Amino acid sequence: MRAFIKIMTVLLLCSVFFISCKKHKESDYHSVIEKIEAEGKHYKGTSISSEEYIAEKDLIEVTEGDKTFLIPERKKHLTMYECTECHAKPLAEMRDPEVLLPRSHWDIEIVHGDAKTMNCLTCHSGANMNNLHSLTGEAISFNKSYQVCAQCHTSQFKDWKGGAHGKNISGWAPPRAINSCVNCHNPHQPKFNKRWPEVFNVHKELQRK
Amino acid sequence: MNTEKKWFSLNLGRKKESASTCGCGKSGGCGSHEAAPTPEKDGFDQVFDVPMSRRSAFKKLTASLMIGAGAVHSSCSVTAGDETKEKAQIDWEEQFKGNYKLMNDEEKKATVDRLVRSYELRKGDKINMSSKNAEPDVLFGYAFNISKCQGYMNCVSACVEENNQDRNSEMQYIRIHELKDGQGLKFDEADDNYYHEVPAEGHFYLGTQCFHCDNPPCIEVCPVQATWREDDGLVVVDYDWCVGCRYCMAACPYDGRRFNWSTPEVPEEEVNKNQHYLGNRLRKKGVMEKCTFCVQRSRAGKNPACVDACPTGARVFGNLLDPNSTIRWVIENKKVFRLKEDLGTEPKFWYYMD
Repeated sequence: MRAFIKIMTVLLLCSVFFISCKKHKESDYHSVIEKIEAEGKHYKGTSISSEEYIAEKDLIEVTEGDKTFLIPERKKHLTMYECTECHAKPLAEMRDPEVLLPRSHWDIEIVHGDAKTMNCLTCHSGANMNNLHSLTGEAISFNKSYQVCAQCHTSQFKDWKGGAHGKNISGWAPPRAINSCVNCHNPHQPKFNKRWPEVFNVHKELQRK
Repeated sequence: MNTEKKWFSLNLGRKKESASTCGCGKSGGCGSHEAAPTPEKDGFDQVFDVPMSRRSAFKKLTASLMIGAGAVHSSCSVTAGDETKEKAQIDWEEQFKGNYKLMNDEEKKATVDRLVRSYELRKGDKINMSSKNAEPDVLFGYAFNISKCQGYMNCVSACVEENNQDRNSEMQYIRIHELKDGQGLKFDEADDNYYHEVPAEGHFYLGTQCFHCDNPPCIEVCPVQATWREDDGLVVVDYDWCVGCRYCMAACPYDGRRFNWSTPEVPEEEVNKNQHYLGNRLRKKGVMEKCTFCVQRSRAGKNPACVDACPTGARVFGNLLDPNSTIRWVIENKKVFRLKEDLGTEPKFWYYMD
């Protein structure tokens, strides 16, 4: 009898072992994350590329941290660049009420931070008009204006580099092209405005009445 | 007849042949199983070489006879032009074609060519239809930033235009829910058809559409296997195989599926002519449809139309298998959640916050 119980126990254990180890084809993964991890391990890239969709766009390549991606070229598309074409004299002289110069930038109102933190010269350099500058006075090209923004908006910058903030303009396939900060946000008034929704479903409204 | 079954038949109370369930309770299309070598069968076999009741056999025969009669009439007629004959020929072949899921590449191309030609004959206009298959090493995934969405609904209108949805019934795949701050996800109290200036004070916005679940309940219930999950994760519908029973609509826990109660109408000049067989080609009355992550765009490397249309960058799309993709970065670095995760449907659609 004891031998029988022993044999039965061994058999039971064996069967449990075989059943649990059975590699079932149906569902190798119990969650999609598991599947992504397993199947992505040997990722070799795909033949799909978004090269053709960005061919006509004017983009520059930037590297930030461990990420390299493309952003739109900025300088060429600024209407009044180069700034020194007008800003030949120091600002103080141009502002002089005695000197009658045509007014410029009169329409720019800063709604960005408060007056204690921000004025024109926080980003623009009085001495080097063709470039922006950092808080410590280092020149930053208009093409890399995101570096100016990143000084305060550190978390947004991190998300933007990674892909959680900002807008992809190339398609999902590599190479990756994204909008720079100023392509979506007006740097002088960065907040998005309220507006009416794009669509209203009349059919749904009537149906639910 | 081959033992490998190509279609679903009810097996109530009877023992499953070659039952292959696994411990996790998932069966059928959980996707990890290898594609069984599909036997070569033409459309005729697929329609007629099945066990069927007398009634359904007569039904099929009648439908086929109608088309056959049309074909015979126009082919024998001396007055019918070549185009009419060609049209009848196309109708005949379309009637007896098989399920898209089971077609080989040539058959897929043939049906796409027929549909393109048929459109040309009827409307006198060329369309471009693709039958591109899923690419290896691609699994599509989507992320939605609920802190960024402002409820502008540009995505909704872009989707309608891209996917040739019925303008008459104003079908929309995407719903944007306006939820109250601090109340959690109360969808029953949310408004998904608001019309006022947005973002409204004290509200946030959350969009839903088909989540392309990795374990989709909708494909399990389809009695004719007209909907399935492709290898790149897209859950698609063969509009020509769908019988319109709407089981999938009932099975979907996310309100992801739409039904054509009437013949869909799209103004001629608004038809998006860049189409895919499984995507935005024109539908007919009585079939299901849904978001396909714009298969005609995504399989070509583009973003779905909603991603490109979003003015706030709240929508992220990409390849989940690519460790350098932005979708992977979001999942790995942000706090993400999915809707009704406890159902085990494994949606490939994550929500995150700033």
